[in-house]
Amino acid sequence: MAENAVGLFARPELALSAAEELVDAGFTATELMSPVPVEGVEEVLGRNKSAIKRFTFFGCIFGACFGFSLAAGTAVLYLHPTGGRPIITVPPFLIITYEMGILFGILATVIGFFISARLPAMSDRVYVPEASVDKFVVTVPCSNREEFDRAEGILRNADAEEIRAIGEVL
Amino acid sequence: MQAKVNPVGEPLQYADVNRDVIRSLTQTGRRYYIALATAFGLTIVCFFFPWFYQLYYGLGAAGMNHPGVWGTYLANFIFWIGLSHSGTLLSCVLHLTNSTWRKAMYRSAEAMTLFSLMVAATFVMVHVGRPWFIHWALPYSNQMELWPNFRSPLLFDVMAIATYLTGSSIFIYMGSIPDFAAARDRTAGWRHHMYVLLSMGWRGTDKEWHRLGWAYTFLAVLIIPLAVSVHSIVSWDFAMSLVPALHQTIFAPYFVVGAIYSGTAGIVTVMFVLRKSMNFEQYITEVHFDNLGKLLLALSLMWTYINIVELFTGWYSGTSAEHEALKFKLFGYYALLYWEMILFCAVAPLLLISTRFRTSLVPMLILSIAINIGMYTERFLIVATSLSRQYLPDAWGLYVPSLVEISILVGSLAMFVTLFLVFVKIFPSVSMYEVKETMGAPGREFSEKGTEPWPKTQ
Amino acid sequence: MSLLDQWRQSWEKYSKPGYYDEFDYAWTMSIDLDKCTGCEACMTACQAENNLPNVGEDEFAQGREIKWIRIERYWVGEYPNIKLGFIPMMCQHCDAAPCETVCPVSATYHNQDGLNTQIYNRCIGTRACAVYCPYEVRYFNFTTHHWDAPLEQQLNPDVTVREKGVMEKCTFCIQRIRQAKDRAKDDGRRRVRDGEVQPACVQTCPSQALVFGDRKDPDSQVSQMIAMEKSRAYRVLEALNTSPSVVYLKKVDDDAS
Repeated sequence: MAENAVGLFARPELALSAAEELVDAGFTATELMSPVPVEGVEEVLGRNKSAIKRFTFFGCIFGACFGFSLAAGTAVLYLHPTGGRPIITVPPFLIITYEMGILFGILATVIGFFISARLPAMSDRVYVPEASVDKFVVTVPCSNREEFDRAEGILRNADAEEIRAIGEVL
Repeated sequence: MQAKVNPVGEPLQYADVNRDVIRSLTQTGRRYYIALATAFGLTIVCFFFPWFYQLYYGLGAAGMNHPGVWGTYLANFIFWIGLSHSGTLLSCVLHLTNSTWRKAMYRSAEAMTLFSLMVAATFVMVHVGRPWFIHWALPYSNQMELWPNFRSPLLFDVMAIATYLTGSSIFIYMGSIPDFAAARDRTAGWRHHMYVLLSMGWRGTDKEWHRLGWAYTFLAVLIIPLAVSVHSIVSWDFAMSLVPALHQTIFAPYFVVGAIYSGTAGIVTVMFVLRKSMNFEQYITEVHFDNLGKLLLALSLMWTYINIVELFTGWYSGTSAEHEALKFKLFGYYALLYWEMILFCAVAPLLLISTRFRTSLVPMLILSIAINIGMYTERFLIVATSLSRQYLPDAWGLYVPSLVEISILVGSLAMFVTLFLVFVKIFPSVSMYEVKETMGAPGREFSEKGTEPWPKTQ
Repeated sequence: MSLLDQWRQSWEKYSKPGYYDEFDYAWTMSIDLDKCTGCEACMTACQAENNLPNVGEDEFAQGREIKWIRIERYWVGEYPNIKLGFIPMMCQHCDAAPCETVCPVSATYHNQDGLNTQIYNRCIGTRACAVYCPYEVRYFNFTTHHWDAPLEQQLNPDVTVREKGVMEKCTFCIQRIRQAKDRAKDDGRRRVRDGEVQPACVQTCPSQALVFGDRKDPDSQVSQMIAMEKSRAYRVLEALNTSPSVVYLKKVDDDAS
């Protein structure tokens, strides 16, 4: 049966050292849930550099192109001479370009965040409510009893306050 | 400064933070309902009824005339957008500089931004002569094949404010996701369902925190130039005209500095009220008022400098039209308002030099309200005095606001308060996870200055 | 032609200042201030021709009267040597009009006759054009005006009646210009002859201080007026670079040396 070994810790450094030991022992799908971001977790659990900055960059570029073509394109589509200015007036259109660039950069960043963080969660995932209050929680998905016992042993050695088994999630 | 303590006298724990903030969401006393009903009632009576009358009768219900075609509606619009500047802008700048004192108050400051923007947007509809056609200012394809005029400063305004509104809402929502998750775990009933939806299944895993941190930083980096550009663009509604007192290049920095100035004063007011009414004395402390006071002092000096520059260059130019406009501003019909503005915005904030003043809360509240009154007067004077004295003396005139306009101003304040009151019961108004970050690890002594670094694992 | 070529062509054509290579007609008015007596007959004629409302005593006291052409009155000098000057001021139909660029919904633009036109149906009443006009010749309808019976019988059917919330200003009686151009086209595609079209104010002025015509035509009365009186000719607020189409001829001052 597949179960998750879940260890609750009172202090972040304890949880971090437990996670490190688990990764060293071969449990690569270890996750660390916490009420605040924990420093040093990226080195231990190996999260890659975010893909979000690519979203932001391309969003800004797309937005800028969209803004300028919106302004210049509609000016050419419906010719409307005003004030002796040219039809394609560059200084005002640059402002539209700038604003649309930022708008689409913001929207792309949000979309990038949701995609790369795999949110919203469409199915149940392993979770303990204490993780949003004051406990630092290490979760390890295990595919059989032997792995579960090994993981439980490591968590116990790392001074976990409490160890739970949450079933059949991953 | 003493360490934070909970009601039993022990050092504040993480769980206390959750308890206090979520209690502010779920426990509603009678005082709250009375405040909400009053604010909402005032909004209906003072804002919507006079506006409907104006829709029926025409803009003649306001006091505008020829040449004073712009009046308090535009001044209100600029005032509310100015007020919106501090929340998100300050939050972003302080986030990027890793400041710790921002942590407890930035959520409410960002909410202030959002609601000020919404109120400002309603003023666009009140100000315009035929609001039922206001959608023509938006770029959408239609059977007339007509598009708005993108060369117009007013249209830069539309684009910029739409972007700012979107950006601010997204920013405050993103920062609140972990808090929605915490609230989801401790509430029941309709609240629980609402927070389930809003938190999007947030669990607080390391991957989610990592992504949120980067997304938040990128948003902050994008929003700072956006906020600066928004109020510059609003200033260009005026500065791109040929009116002698308005056609000045100083207007963009003038408006941005003025906006941050009035917005910061607004934050001080809101912090005071929030602290008192929600019992957040542990989270919003004198440190916050001290730092906000220093910021206000810096902004006040900058604002004074820009005003002096404006007066000087107007006088130095030597043109009769500008001289006349300056003379009218300082000594004409509205002179009393001008000197009141100088008193409240340039002279009174010099009190902030004293640390004792900055850390005493009620004087800070009074000063912040005075600053906002002065800044509102500044916006009003920009509109009224410059339109009264333009190039052709035969067309000089005076503008006096009517009762409808004053009522709508009061109503807009009530609308803002209503929106804010609804906010404090839906969003956690103090950011729980950021406050916990300033508290250090659980079980440790609280550190006033900020976080102590957690020891690295072996 | 490929898309890129189309874009390049658009860019080359439309990024130069202005749009018209030349106007069909360049309608110009010259106002001889020496002949103007300040009688305000032009104001009455304009009111009759263009369905200008009588706003009523209260609105007038508030400063909301609508006068597409107004006589500006300036006192010069001290008692007992006071002189009075009159300047009829109406929309100058600037070639570089500041009011045109600022309208967010494109309700005002420059047409092929060199006129600054106002499209009442499109106006949403932001009143930015009134602020941007340095001559302050744009007027706003603060209320919907009514004509008590039987005054509505005198409304000109060729001109719309504006509702509340809409900006309006002098149009050089564009309805008369259009009619003249239509008549010219029906007569066999000739050009409009000089003097064939006159706005209401020009038609009414008793001292013939106002002269209207096409400055592209060197033989028109207005071109000759400007050429003859070159030493007296000026435009109001020229330094603002608005290129107005109204030329004023300075009053001849007998006492000046």
